[in-house]
Amino acid sequence: MNAGILRLLCAALLAAVPGAGLRAAPAPAARPILLSGADLVTVSHGVIPRGELLIVDGRIAAIGPGVDAPADAVRIDLAGKRVYPGYIAADSVLGLTEIESVRATNDMAETGAINPNARALAAINPDSELLPVARANGVLSAHVVPQPGEAGVLSGQSALVSLDGWSWEDMAVRAPVGVHLYWPALDVPDWAPVEYAARARESVERKQKALAAAFADARIYRVSRDAGTLRAPDLRWEALVPVLQGTQPLFIHADRIVQLREALAFIERERIARPVLVGGSDAWRIADVLAARRIPVILGSAHRLPQRRWEGYDVAYSSAARLARAGVTFAIANAATPMAAANERNLPYQAASYAAYGLGSEAALRAITLTAAEILGVADRLGSLDVGKDATLFVADGDALDIRTRVERAWVGGHEVSLETRQTRLHERYRSKYSGVRRP
Amino acid sequence: MSFCIPAARCARHALGVACALLMLAAPVSAQVGTRPVIGLADRTPRQVALTHARLVLRPGRVIEDGTLLLRDGVIVAAGAEVAIPTGVATVDLHGKTIFAGFIEPQSAYGLTAAAESAAGHGTTVDASVHAGARHWNSRIRPETDLAESLRPDAGAAAKWRALGFTAVTVVPQRGILRGQGAVVSLADDQPAGTVLIAARVLQQAAFEIAPWNSGDYPGSLMGSIALLRQTLADAQWQPRRQAWQRSHPQAPRLEASPALDALAPALAGRQPMVFVTQDELDYDRALAIAREFGLKPVLLGNGHEYRRLALLRRSGAPVIVPLQLPAAPAVEDPDRALDVSLAALEHWQWAPYNARLLAEAGVPFAFTAAGLDKPESEFWPRVRGAVEKGLGEDAALSALTTQPAALLGLGGRLGTLEPGRLAHFIVADADLFRSPHAQIYEIWIDGRRHIEAALDTPEPRGVWGLSWTGANGPAALEIAGDDTLSAKAGATVIAVTQDEDRLLLYVPGVLLGVADPRVVVVAQLQTRGFEGRARLADGREIRVRATQTRAAPRAPAAAIAKPALPATPLHFPAGANGRMGLPAQPAVVLVRHATVWTQGPQGVLADADLLVRAGRVVAVGRGLAAPADAVVVDARGRHVTPGLIDAHSHLAIARGVNEGTHAATSEVRVGDVLDPTDIGIYRQLAGGVTAAQLLHGSANPIGGQSQIVKLRWGADAEGLKFEGAPATIKFALGENVKQANWGDRFTTRYPQTRMGVEQLDLDRLLAARAYRAARQRGSADDGGPLRRDLQLEALTEVLDGRRLVQVHSYRQDEILAFARLAQRFGFVPTFQHVLEGYKVADVLAGMGAGASTFSDWWAYKYEVIDAIPYNGALMTRQGVTVSFNSDDEEMGRRLNTEAAKAIKYGGLDATQALALVTANPARQLHLERRVGSLEPGKDADFVIWSADPLSTLAVAEQTWIDGRKYFDRDDDRREQVRIERERAGLIAAVLPERVKALKAAPGKDDGKTPAPASLVRPPQDAYAALRPIYHDSEQANSCHAGDFE
Repeated sequence: MNAGILRLLCAALLAAVPGAGLRAAPAPAARPILLSGADLVTVSHGVIPRGELLIVDGRIAAIGPGVDAPADAVRIDLAGKRVYPGYIAADSVLGLTEIESVRATNDMAETGAINPNARALAAINPDSELLPVARANGVLSAHVVPQPGEAGVLSGQSALVSLDGWSWEDMAVRAPVGVHLYWPALDVPDWAPVEYAARARESVERKQKALAAAFADARIYRVSRDAGTLRAPDLRWEALVPVLQGTQPLFIHADRIVQLREALAFIERERIARPVLVGGSDAWRIADVLAARRIPVILGSAHRLPQRRWEGYDVAYSSAARLARAGVTFAIANAATPMAAANERNLPYQAASYAAYGLGSEAALRAITLTAAEILGVADRLGSLDVGKDATLFVADGDALDIRTRVERAWVGGHEVSLETRQTRLHERYRSKYSGVRRP
Repeated sequence: MSFCIPAARCARHALGVACALLMLAAPVSAQVGTRPVIGLADRTPRQVALTHARLVLRPGRVIEDGTLLLRDGVIVAAGAEVAIPTGVATVDLHGKTIFAGFIEPQSAYGLTAAAESAAGHGTTVDASVHAGARHWNSRIRPETDLAESLRPDAGAAAKWRALGFTAVTVVPQRGILRGQGAVVSLADDQPAGTVLIAARVLQQAAFEIAPWNSGDYPGSLMGSIALLRQTLADAQWQPRRQAWQRSHPQAPRLEASPALDALAPALAGRQPMVFVTQDELDYDRALAIAREFGLKPVLLGNGHEYRRLALLRRSGAPVIVPLQLPAAPAVEDPDRALDVSLAALEHWQWAPYNARLLAEAGVPFAFTAAGLDKPESEFWPRVRGAVEKGLGEDAALSALTTQPAALLGLGGRLGTLEPGRLAHFIVADADLFRSPHAQIYEIWIDGRRHIEAALDTPEPRGVWGLSWTGANGPAALEIAGDDTLSAKAGATVIAVTQDEDRLLLYVPGVLLGVADPRVVVVAQLQTRGFEGRARLADGREIRVRATQTRAAPRAPAAAIAKPALPATPLHFPAGANGRMGLPAQPAVVLVRHATVWTQGPQGVLADADLLVRAGRVVAVGRGLAAPADAVVVDARGRHVTPGLIDAHSHLAIARGVNEGTHAATSEVRVGDVLDPTDIGIYRQLAGGVTAAQLLHGSANPIGGQSQIVKLRWGADAEGLKFEGAPATIKFALGENVKQANWGDRFTTRYPQTRMGVEQLDLDRLLAARAYRAARQRGSADDGGPLRRDLQLEALTEVLDGRRLVQVHSYRQDEILAFARLAQRFGFVPTFQHVLEGYKVADVLAGMGAGASTFSDWWAYKYEVIDAIPYNGALMTRQGVTVSFNSDDEEMGRRLNTEAAKAIKYGGLDATQALALVTANPARQLHLERRVGSLEPGKDADFVIWSADPLSTLAVAEQTWIDGRKYFDRDDDRREQVRIERERAGLIAAVLPERVKALKAAPGKDDGKTPAPASLVRPPQDAYAALRPIYHDSEQANSCHAGDFE
């Protein structure tokens, strides 16, 4: 096989992976839409009271106190309401799982340690019952992340999808977003039986070795690849090359301080150009370092217990404020678990808990919209109400960070989506049992 | 020194063995017995007088120059003026001190494998470990009598003796009721019958738990306690049944039970029951069992006794205190040091003072060497360490002599030098308890001496005049040192070693004017003189004669002054956020100018006051007056609500939330295993929770008895209990109990289907009905005395409406089936989780059943795919009393915003929503007269919020229970600063010791005490049974998902 053919083959392989710039496919509404009368929470430039927002061809064509709308625009009066950019679930397994305890419904984690080539996008079930439930509360996009198995280190490539579409190709906003590295952690309590602790230590060592070997091999591969001397493509290293080139971020999942420290050393050693830390329970302890090195963080759930018995009860709640004060760029995410995927709708309340403990509502909202979009490389499309961005937004009857507020309507890429879910259907059905008006 | 001539030169090592053999060549005669004489009889007079010794007759009573008279292994006289009968040999012990021999109350000495292997291994159905008429549970072996299987071990005995012990207690090491221990002497190489001093001195009990993978009962601490309780109740019943049986020959035969027979002495208070404790909370559990059954308890401690001094003093129970100390925690890496808890750091600092504090508190205690890795090198440093930290030497001595003797019931035989006691004593230096250089010379057991070191070893220390032959050596030499000797000739240092009376001098050749770099002079040491010889490389021999011109024996160490106690205060619970006592209860508290959500008829009042007197609400209203001494809280701009109530929590349950082994375990009680040190209590207070129902897990259809608590952080286990709250019990339906998510191995325990669950519940309830009838009749079916069945007893309370059933449920079919079953037996359950409750809300409302559900959880297992967040609102609208619960230590911190979800989903109003976590759970738990609303006469359990409590931005600022402020955000901020400061100080204190440990074992020592090995990778739920108190946030408790594998 000569190098030319190989290059073609690699190109073909890559072509199979939908790249950046993919458009969500649902056809944009044919007629322009004008949302008027609502307070527009732009996130990027404050709140426009009783403003107007024009949607043309699926994008925000204009926004302001008053905009020029074409005569054929569908006018929607939203007086007394608020319009928000759709929330982005920045670390999720939506679409990869249905029922946690039923193994057949889980596609989150491939076996083995090194799976940088695994593509979350290709396994997203557009008809998952969990998706509409998230969407119904304003979570309109999700960063779907492959998870590590028991031996897992490099879990795969994530995808940023909108939560509406006939297929994952329709849904894709950006894929791959990046490769995910789960930093090996020795999270065995002191009191675990000795041989279990020993096994856990061995497992960490095995993972560390596998990680080092993967990066070493990928570098060798890249030299050969650049020189055109490859005999055959290696799927794993093909997936890692963009990380080595610095064209794709490497997401490093690490919570505890020792992991974070090791991860920082790894970033330095391997010259990772675009690292992102995910999880980051202890990140506030090294906030100054993260700020100085401009390493962004996707901060995990606020609804976590302190890791250590002696830590303040509010250590998790207040960690976002500490990152903010230090100048760290961060998004806020739910945990990437099936349990959290089922309730991805509660993402704004994660942000609210951080808000209540010093972060403030405005910064909290930014962390689940615009900053998330920036870190995930989709700020040109999502995250704020700005001209040129996708009309992915929702209407609420109050402060969306407050639980009592209801989300009333939502648009994804200019296309209004249904807020009906399996749960609303069951609700209606059984309400009818008691109202006497029996529904099928 | 002429007694026992052959032994006079006995050396510690090689000669010692020969010496012992010589002594034992004659048959033993210290005991009266039936053993035939083989060969010649030993007719040596066994009388001896030890004279001019310093006698420590008993701790605190010292005769400076006394005589101890022994006859046939027994002390017959001791004192300053003892008349020595004619014909009695004397031993002059001038300069030496006699202490009573030490007694070890807890050892595995002389245990045989056979005695141990039967108990506590394998499963209950394994016949191989069940040879004999055993109790059905392999961990109940009280009939074990170690006297029967004792095998004296000469090697081990010699090691014990070397430390000063003359007797040890052999105790069984496995099981729950482990069996009866024996006290044996450590006399050398004698048959078991001869060394046995007393059999069946104690019954050993422990809260042991079967390994998870065995599936064996009990699998939890509460199960272990329940089994203990049932067994003791059975042992009380059995003799009554036996007596009845004798007069009723036609009654069915009673199953033989040697195990229950063997508990009679303990139940009669004639035999102490030693309870093995794992942590400072086990004391309460052991003492409660002892109180319940009139036992004589002894606590085998765990080193944390200093944290519970008041309890121990009050109980009067003797404590056996282990000597081991925690290793210096790994704090050298500041990042990893974060994982060392404050409680662990404090323990490292306080543990060495444990014995002193017990002594000062007046708690009777004995020491045990059990638990020391290397008693031979650790025992004395630990004892002397305790003395150094301020334990009186008398108290240390009594912890090794009179206290163990007393708790073993052998105070009349052992422990002192008083007439009538066995001649068990040691001859030692006077400063034995304070100087590391002090020596034990002889150990006398039953009047026979065992030599450790010669009494008359010549003293090498001092100044010696030398005369050399064949060399021109120094004329004078000074030998000094404690354990390591060294000599000096002028300015030259000469290395010296001594082995009994052999002295070796390593003299530099230049000092002798010879070419050899170093000359080894071997000398035979005599009193005040020695003669030495050395051979040079050229074959010449040189000699030296030495005469001591000035002796300089080791000076006894001075008495130790009591050091100050550590400055770190002793909180309870230890470590972060602990308290010095319960918060004060002001006579009157007035909270002013708040928005008060009364959750009662007064509704929500703006700018209102809440008046509290002696822990109760007196009034809610505008402009209330309060006396001048009232504590006034200005709550302007704040909201006040009743304390939140979590109707489904697994907080603060120690070592296992599930007794998931048997299908029905209504005999187990969460109330037995409360963990007041669980930091989750404090964290939930910070979320406004004041009361919670702590439920057994959902691993089996009929789970354990639950416990309703108030979150009185700082109280002990008993203090957590919500006094006057009704008894409750957990039942469970669906996937968890049919083991659907446990893994492929779990397919045989009945039930495996919802069909079986219903039938099992029916079967047990019918059994309870029959048991209730028997109780009313006062006799068993055959007319005999009724056996107390703790499992059925709990279920009869259900039938009588005195125990509220909390049934874990999901699907409407199982909800309906249980509802009909409950109606059949006439009780009204509260359904827990009840995620399809909205489908049968009419049924629930019709029977008045409560529903305690999650706000919005769903999809985590198959049976919850139809869960909807409208559930709460739908059921509420049908007239069901609904609460929202957490079932989760994290979510329990924000129940207020969980309640708000019922506004978003289903449109309840704000008061209805807040009622889901206040008034409604109170009603479900039949506590509505006490809590759940702010009305006159109710408990002053309330929360002050920074904002509308249903807002996600609201933060609990103060949480009050019983009119006491248990949480205050400002106090918390100060506490966090204090914690950081205390940690820094302690870490600085640990570091030097840690560095020493690292140098000794670089890279090896991780500063952790390894947990015991187990056979399998523990799944999450098994962790719950292993997890100790003062754990971090490892969640091991939950029943919402299939947390089994």
